[in-house]
Amino acid sequence: MTDQESGARVLAIVERGYRGALEKQFFDELYLATELHRQLGGLDILLRGPAVTYGLRADRVPPLRIGNRTVDTVSDPRPGLRALLEAGVTVWADEPDLAALGAAGNPDRLIEGVRIARDGELAVRWPEYDMVCFL
Amino acid sequence: MARKIPHTDVLITLMGAPHASDRTTSALRLTQSLLERGASVQVWTCGYATLLTQRALGPDKPRNLADWERAYPSTATLAEELLTAFPDRLYWYGCRFCSDDRGAFDHLPQVVLRPPAGYGANVAAADKTLLVGVI
Repeated sequence: MTDQESGARVLAIVERGYRGALEKQFFDELYLATELHRQLGGLDILLRGPAVTYGLRADRVPPLRIGNRTVDTVSDPRPGLRALLEAGVTVWADEPDLAALGAAGNPDRLIEGVRIARDGELAVRWPEYDMVCFL
Repeated sequence: MARKIPHTDVLITLMGAPHASDRTTSALRLTQSLLERGASVQVWTCGYATLLTQRALGPDKPRNLADWERAYPSTATLAEELLTAFPDRLYWYGCRFCSDDRGAFDHLPQVVLRPPAGYGANVAAADKTLLVGVI
C-alpha cells in the first residue's frame, strides 16, 4: 500500500525511543501521535533507530518499586502502538535498524500490522506528505 | 556557616532532562535498589531534573483522557515516598541556580537547594559519585 492509498497527510518519524518512562508515563510520543492523527487528517509512523523495537512483540513493561509504592503506570510503547494501529495509523519499522538490532528476517516478531520499510523506501515518498516530522 | 553534608555511600547526580532519555528512570531504580540493600544515598539534581521535586502538580499528574479514572503519580510524589521509605539514608539536594534558572520553586520540604559552588562538598561526602546524563 502506498501512502497515497493510506490517505495519510503526515509522516511522523519516531527515532529516539524510551524517553522519560517514569516522568511522562501515559503521555509519551505515541499518545501524542494518536491526537495528531485525529487532528491532522491521518498519520503514518516510521519507527527508526532504537524505536524500531516498539514494533516487536514483547511482554508488558514490568512495574517498578519506588519507595513503598508499586508503579505500574510507566510508559509502555506497545499498547500505544496497538492503539494507533487500531485507529487506522500505518506503522512502518525501518529494516536496516531492525537488522542492526538482530530483529530483521523474522516478521513473526513484529506486532501484527507493522510493516517493514526497506532502506530509504519512505524517504523517497516524503514529497507525498503535507508534513514530515519527528516525534 | 557552611552546611554539613551527611556522609553517604553513593551520590547520584541527575544532570539530564527527565524527558530526554530513560536515564532518570534507571537512576531512580538504582537508588531504590541501593537503599533496599542498606546503602545510604544522596541525589543531587541539576538542570531540568530540578523540576522532579516541584509540588505544583500535587500528588498526581494531569488526567489521562484515554483512561480517565486511573491515577498517575507525579515525580514529586515518587521522590517524597522514596524519602519517607528510607529516612536517614536518603537525602535529596537540588542545584539552586538550575532550579531558579527554570522557574522551579515550591519544592518538597525535604529537598535542600544548594549553590552550585557547594557541589564539591556533596561529592566529598560520598564514597562514590555517579553523574547521570548531560545538562
